[in-house]
Amino acid sequence: MGEKNFEQIKKEIKSMISEIIEVSESKLTEDARFVEDLDVDSMRALEIVASIEKKYKVAIPEDQIRTLRSLKNIYDLLEKSIKK
Amino acid sequence: MENAWDIQKIQEVLPQKYPFLFIDNVLEIDKKQEKVICLKNVTVNDYFFKGHFPGNPILPGAIIIEAMSQASIILFSVFKPEVAKKKPDYYLAKVESRFLKPVRPGDQLILEAKKEKMLQNAGIVKATAKVNDEVVAEAHIMFGVKQKDEK
Repeated sequence: MGEKNFEQIKKEIKSMISEIIEVSESKLTEDARFVEDLDVDSMRALEIVASIEKKYKVAIPEDQIRTLRSLKNIYDLLEKSIKK
Repeated sequence: MENAWDIQKIQEVLPQKYPFLFIDNVLEIDKKQEKVICLKNVTVNDYFFKGHFPGNPILPGAIIIEAMSQASIILFSVFKPEVAKKKPDYYLAKVESRFLKPVRPGDQLILEAKKEKMLQNAGIVKATAKVNDEVVAEAHIMFGVKQKDEK
């Protein structure tokens, strides 16, 4: 994973999430809040987490899921776990 | 065939009851491989064959999904027994499925539910249904789990 440019990963994640929550990439900004601004419910949040775990072979603990409130939170978390 | 659970235990765990209980047996619980294998005997006595379809009984795909979902609840109860013990409500969130072959009366439907992710309040399961070792349907199932007193 180290070789892959993190900007590229960010792009992939954004497009994946946009597909899951059915929100266009232009509306899915880094700071848009999933629940309040984008109407994401808990099951879709889980779907996002599961897809990220599968694709990037990372484990996101259950108690961290509710801290992922925006795309930016997800980038930060992944940057930490992928670059480790 | 040896059973991992008796029907009493199945009925304790599954909130679904007659005529909507579609697991007859739990054949295997494999914690290591994170899966359970259940059985539904398909019989011409099943009430829906009267209408699906007259003179041409085929097990409805929606019933196969329901049977796979019930196997998923059993899987959930194996991994989260403390949650299942409180008899929560289980509700489907998303199902992606494929049906490959028709299932008819006389078939033994073998339902395998394999864990993809289990949380306290949700689960993601990969399920397959087989008849005579041939896959007849497969599904990716997401469900939520809610205690009755939760809003």
